[in-house]
Amino acid sequence: MTSATSVEPQDESLLCYCTMLTIGELRAACQAGRWPLRGKENTGKLCTACVGDLLYCLRRFGVDASL
Amino acid sequence: MSSNLSALMSATFYERGYDHHVEIIHQRDAEARRRLESLEVTLYDGAGALLATPKVDPARDILDLRALVTDATRSPERVMVVLDARYDEAIFPYRPHHYAYLHRAGSTAPPLYYAVNAVLGGVPDRVGATNINNFETYVFRQGPFEQRYSLLLGCLARFVPVTAQVFTYYGSRRVTHDVTLAPKCHAEIPLAAEDAGERLARVEVKSLFRLLSYVVGRRADTGDLVLFDHLFTYAK
Repeated sequence: MTSATSVEPQDESLLCYCTMLTIGELRAACQAGRWPLRGKENTGKLCTACVGDLLYCLRRFGVDASL
Repeated sequence: MSSNLSALMSATFYERGYDHHVEIIHQRDAEARRRLESLEVTLYDGAGALLATPKVDPARDILDLRALVTDATRSPERVMVVLDARYDEAIFPYRPHHYAYLHRAGSTAPPLYYAVNAVLGGVPDRVGATNINNFETYVFRQGPFEQRYSLLLGCLARFVPVTAQVFTYYGSRRVTHDVTLAPKCHAEIPLAAEDAGERLARVEVKSLFRLLSYVVGRRADTGDLVLFDHLFTYAK
């Protein structure tokens, strides 16, 4: 993975299409110290296409995340 | 209809001069019950620039990509067509499947029929599947090469670039290429038909984050597509 884009994550956007997690839900969970949310534990682990975006958002929302 | 909407993002590539029709819903449906709740289509050029967001009716059965792309953009280059669907899990317990017909107008090459690559949401959590799907393989038949082979790769990530390793196998030799694609970028990666006298036997794509990927073959003389297929995941 190289440098990221400057696109701002929008809360209404769907982040994980397998668990139906939105960016807003992720942001709120991170701010409340409640990540991973119950029922969303498999986020990023299924089709794997959102893993990079998930790590990017977690770091943006203050969670120290890595693979 | 239940309130449990699920999501699937699939994508393919459109090239000028081809008749290209996507069957939005492939599953048999005698009662015409199976339809998407919504379908958003976006078109991107190779550099990841958004070309158009043509409106489509999610109830339609067939999407004519030739008409869609031609009406939406004058770009003569290959276009990545992204299909972002919402569907009711009560109607599609696994997920909808999109298939597509592809044929260059006027070509004597046979038409192709392929499964549109599901990239985001292909493994809905409720199904409970656990196999990895970001390591994919394609095995080439060992007939005489009258085709040029390549990979078409696309990045559907929103924020970060994705790096993939492409392995090609020639006898016992393996050749590795690294490919990095920024969000919404796409590229064609040529695959040499021979290396050190050995024929191309297999290609693998390995990426931490799943990419849109197709293996394609073009007639050596005309360039017409004669192979357009997704790669396969093999679980051991």
